[in-house]
Amino acid sequence: MLQNLLGHRCLHVLLATMSVAMVGVASAAVCPGADATALSWLDKMSRSVRQVSYNGVVTLQRGDDMQVMQISHSVGEGTISERLTELTGQGAQVERADHPVACIHPGHKLLRVGADLQVGRCGIAQHYRFSVTDGERVAGRKAVRIRIEPRDMYRFGYVMELDRETALLLQAETVGRGSKTLEKFQFANLSYSGQILGGIEVNLVHEAQHPHPRAAATSAAPGDAWSVGWVPGGFASTDTPVGSSGRRTYTDGLAVFSVFLEQLGREIRPGEGVVRRGSTLSYTRGMHLAGRPVLITVIGEVPVNTARMVADSVDWTR
Amino acid sequence: MTERMRESLSALLDDEANELELERVLSHIAENDDLRQAWVRYNAVRAAVSGHQLAYMKLDISSQVQQVIAEQRTPSAAQTATSLRQRFLRPVASLAIAASVAATVVIGGQQLAQIGGAQSYGNSQAVAASASPVGLVNSLGATTVQASYGTQTVPVLRPATRTAYQQLARQRMQKYMQEHAEQAALNSPQGLIPFARVPRIRE
Repeated sequence: MLQNLLGHRCLHVLLATMSVAMVGVASAAVCPGADATALSWLDKMSRSVRQVSYNGVVTLQRGDDMQVMQISHSVGEGTISERLTELTGQGAQVERADHPVACIHPGHKLLRVGADLQVGRCGIAQHYRFSVTDGERVAGRKAVRIRIEPRDMYRFGYVMELDRETALLLQAETVGRGSKTLEKFQFANLSYSGQILGGIEVNLVHEAQHPHPRAAATSAAPGDAWSVGWVPGGFASTDTPVGSSGRRTYTDGLAVFSVFLEQLGREIRPGEGVVRRGSTLSYTRGMHLAGRPVLITVIGEVPVNTARMVADSVDWTR
Repeated sequence: MTERMRESLSALLDDEANELELERVLSHIAENDDLRQAWVRYNAVRAAVSGHQLAYMKLDISSQVQQVIAEQRTPSAAQTATSLRQRFLRPVASLAIAASVAATVVIGGQQLAQIGGAQSYGNSQAVAASASPVGLVNSLGATTVQASYGTQTVPVLRPATRTAYQQLARQRMQKYMQEHAEQAALNSPQGLIPFARVPRIRE
């Protein structure tokens, strides 16, 4: 039944993607600066996770901190199961079982611009500049390097290395202002098989969630609904926003940020605070919205400017 | 107060605390009266020894300060006390971390209400009354404090708000990171990797 539910939930997504045909060799004339080769690699990358099974060890570097984890990804009959097991730190395991192959979330759709380019919709190419060069060897695989530069100040840049054969993302570096590397993730070893290795001591298992578009829309007390008035161009909602729920999340295909609103039961001195870890930012702002004290927090892989402007645009829905 | 906590507190005061110690103190300070009082006391001692004036010295701490100093100086004092004294006698370190806790504990909330006076914030009682249901740090109830420069009384904005907000942002990251990762994992190219950014994964 769960299966059915998932399948049904993703039906609209499926219909939307069927219209996106094969990767096109796009016309750069329509979208100036859009590198068709790079975009087609990006497109392939977003599909690769639905086609190949693999497992391997991944490192995530953020400043002085390095985490090591094992990733397993297996594509079965119409579903994908994935698992992340931390080999350092907390030793937690995150699992997602039986995610329908046909269920494609907005972030991945935004990376599939091939056909859209030909009809003049530039999508992600409007917000980033892409270029392709030969990559290095990553985890024993030959890679192709995609350099992704933001066209505005609202997002970070990336340097990605994709497997030349499968287009799997082998390495990704998040680059902030002044070409500073904020975060780097990469496979240390990789094997294309669906086998999940055992024998790892796990302290905690978390079942990754799948958004429920229809959750609790009715529980909104009148006047408590709120909305985000501004997001940078190219960002779309990751799930159906629910009136008074505390969170909204947006993605442009590469970056993701979430906005949280808390209503406070007492006065607050207006102010703002920022904490950054690697590429992740937590920006908290205390303010009054129509006289009611609220705390707005933006968490995500975006520059502080973006977070500030997004927080600024939050208001009650009238 | 455990020995470990005392050490953390002391390290914090000297700006020698690491992230772990900071977290340890912050997570206990809200509900631990001893800890809070110890912090106020340590700061008072340090201020008195170094000749610094603190705005909240008007708090009825000053009388205790002499006493505490006296205690710290008696040869019979415990070893920890001696080491603390040595720390206090050092030049005052930068207040970066210490200030954030001071802001939370001393300037904020209830203490402020006690320094009180009828400040411009009308509903100080309500503000300082209790910890907020959303887990706000107390210092957000703080308000401008009168600091005197010469003969003039100038209202200054204490660093309380800034440091408190930074701490708030840190707390919120802990609280919301996982929910954000759930979305990021489905909508960015790295698959489940966003979960590795979550400070502490919950089931």
